[in-house]
Amino acid sequence: MPETPEITAATQRTLQGQRLKYYIENEPAGDRVDQFLRAFAAVLEFSDYRPLLDSYCTSSAKCNRCAVSCPVYLATGDPRDIPCYRTNLLLDIYRRYFTIGGAVEARFSRSFELTDDVIDDMLEVFYRCTACRRCTRSCPMGVDHGLITRLGRYALSLIGIVPKALQVSVREQLEGDTHNTSKVPKEALMNTLEFLSEELEDILGVTMTFPVDQTDRDYVFYCAVSDYLMEPETLMGNAAVLYAAGDWDKWTIGTGNYDGINYGLFYSDWHLENIIKRLVAEVTRLRGRNVLIGECGHASRSAHDFVPVFGGKEAYPVVSFIEYTLDCIRKKRITLNPDIITERVTYHDPCNIARSGWIVEQPRDILRSFVKNFVDMVPHGQENYCCGGGGGLVSVDEIHDFRMEIGGRVKAEQLQKVHADIVIAPCANCKKQLKELVEYYELPCKVMGLHDLILKAIEIPGAKSPAERAEEAALLAV
Amino acid sequence: MSVHDWIDFAKGPLFAFTFLVMVLGLLRHVIIQVSSLITGKGRRLRSAPWRRIIADALSWVIPIRHMTRGTVIFSVVSFLFHIGIILVPVLLIDHIVMWEEQLGIDLPAIGRGLADVLTLFTIAAILVLLGFRIFGSRQRSMSSRIDYLLLVMILLPFASGYAAGHANVNPLSWEAMMLTHLLSAEVLFVLVPFTKLAHIVLFFFDRISGLHWQLRPGAGDKVAHALFGEEAKV
Ligand code: SF4
Ligand code: SF4
Repeated sequence: MPETPEITAATQRTLQGQRLKYYIENEPAGDRVDQFLRAFAAVLEFSDYRPLLDSYCTSSAKCNRCAVSCPVYLATGDPRDIPCYRTNLLLDIYRRYFTIGGAVEARFSRSFELTDDVIDDMLEVFYRCTACRRCTRSCPMGVDHGLITRLGRYALSLIGIVPKALQVSVREQLEGDTHNTSKVPKEALMNTLEFLSEELEDILGVTMTFPVDQTDRDYVFYCAVSDYLMEPETLMGNAAVLYAAGDWDKWTIGTGNYDGINYGLFYSDWHLENIIKRLVAEVTRLRGRNVLIGECGHASRSAHDFVPVFGGKEAYPVVSFIEYTLDCIRKKRITLNPDIITERVTYHDPCNIARSGWIVEQPRDILRSFVKNFVDMVPHGQENYCCGGGGGLVSVDEIHDFRMEIGGRVKAEQLQKVHADIVIAPCANCKKQLKELVEYYELPCKVMGLHDLILKAIEIPGAKSPAERAEEAALLAV
Repeated sequence: MSVHDWIDFAKGPLFAFTFLVMVLGLLRHVIIQVSSLITGKGRRLRSAPWRRIIADALSWVIPIRHMTRGTVIFSVVSFLFHIGIILVPVLLIDHIVMWEEQLGIDLPAIGRGLADVLTLFTIAAILVLLGFRIFGSRQRSMSSRIDYLLLVMILLPFASGYAAGHANVNPLSWEAMMLTHLLSAEVLFVLVPFTKLAHIVLFFFDRISGLHWQLRPGAGDKVAHALFGEEAKV
């Protein structure tokens, strides 16, 4: 057990040797180089990545400014973890095999050649990077390493190289019986909702029956399906806000599709699009008007950014639950009691909604409205550090040690320095990774969702007051 | 041909030709980028967050906001370097005369004193950048021959230009220095569109990755069908 997450030259030296290995379902048989080139060629033919690749190929300055912004590089100091190094792996392939200049160069000199070793290198480094895009903000050229990492993963996935954990989940979501990543059957969903109702009745003293398959509602609700199994507090917080705001009959959960997760965002255009199409199809079936996304970074970003791109005529507006709650507070449709939360609270920005998104101040406005002792980490907001589990890595159990020792090390250091009792992370992935980090480094703080905290402080007409609830909870704890 | 004829040739037709190569080469980059954006992204371009994109690009003109831990020295040096290589070649009095003669453009000149100081700063900045590449292990690991070569190629016209203007530091004759100055600058012109120096125009297109995240609808299925047939499975 490490004493502290602090990074020193000595830890860097020991971490440099640590490799990242994940299970692959079907290792590609035969000539991987040839297969990779065919796959990449197909991507280039049908998608429109070429202009950006052309531009990056020509103009990347190799100045190295990006290195010190990357949490992975900071932890290891390994040149292979320099963002530009990794991006250049793919750019070299593009330049050599898919541009005229590269072909001419290869004729007359000994230039770059794609080999099995390069494939092995990509296989690892494209998953050492969490595609958090922090480095992009420090590159004077604006080279988007997150996009390139994702493109590299996409091409690799087309020859079968992808972490098994991600592939199996996507397969279940797109082709399986349950149509969700955690294989939660409809009956189990109904049982969970019933359980949540009972819990809410216990805690609040009011009856809320969850709306299922209701048509013509304002909001069709999607969270990461794993929340139904693992984050009941977050879901109850969501429910409490909808109820208190008087919107209980304006939303619904659809049993045709209740999973907001989209691992396509992490490694495949093909899956990204089809998962989005399934999501909007359910809204259409229910004649819903908006997509309401629960607390999840990548689910929010994929819906918010890609429903307009892939939704066609069904491009419903996408609302994040955080925005919805803030709107309710601003319009005084809900009240949060400012005397309940006395702990020191900090907020972790999920990369997908902060740096790559539009949600930075909204959750802070919510928190400041009822938390007296709120403190930010340094840096935060769009400059935040990834939790180390981004880009789908958190779902890959076999790389736990890598996520703790390397990917999440800078985050753990930040958490240690901020001395907060509670860290709020409105994202299923971040929460899982942060909980593991807190346990691994024995940090004295608790990881929670935003609405978990709201559930404690929300005033609901006709229900037990927050103070009463706090008393009851304290008694139960004893 | 006497050396003066050579100088006149380098100042005249050769200058015009190499400069044209640079301009047309850069223009080609811009045209390819713009046209592929229009055909590739089409209507989606209109809804792009242009204000944010442009504000972000402009924020790098003076990169103070972007100087975070570990990047400060590099940023300052690189900033000085860029100021020098933009201002001196364009606004030096002797160049102004050339712009006027060759291109018919009339620009205000900066004073000789200022130009000298800027030139020396630029030379110093180039040497520091070169030092980073040679002695910084991280940078060395990322650099290939062309990265060193380009810095030297930029150093040459500055150093030779300065020496040509200051007889006391010039080890050669004025003519030899002037010819070195002209020819090295002209080689550089030709290199610009074909090397990373093309970021003169491409930096803007690098920065708009936000547009490239707007993926092409239907492309994923087409890729899968082309590789695995119509019945492609996850
Ligand atoms: S995207 Fe994030 S993890 Fe990947 S190289 Fe950049 S900073 Fe590092
Ligand atoms: S900061 Fe940008 S240009 Fe410089 S090395 Fe990194 S990716 Fe390349």
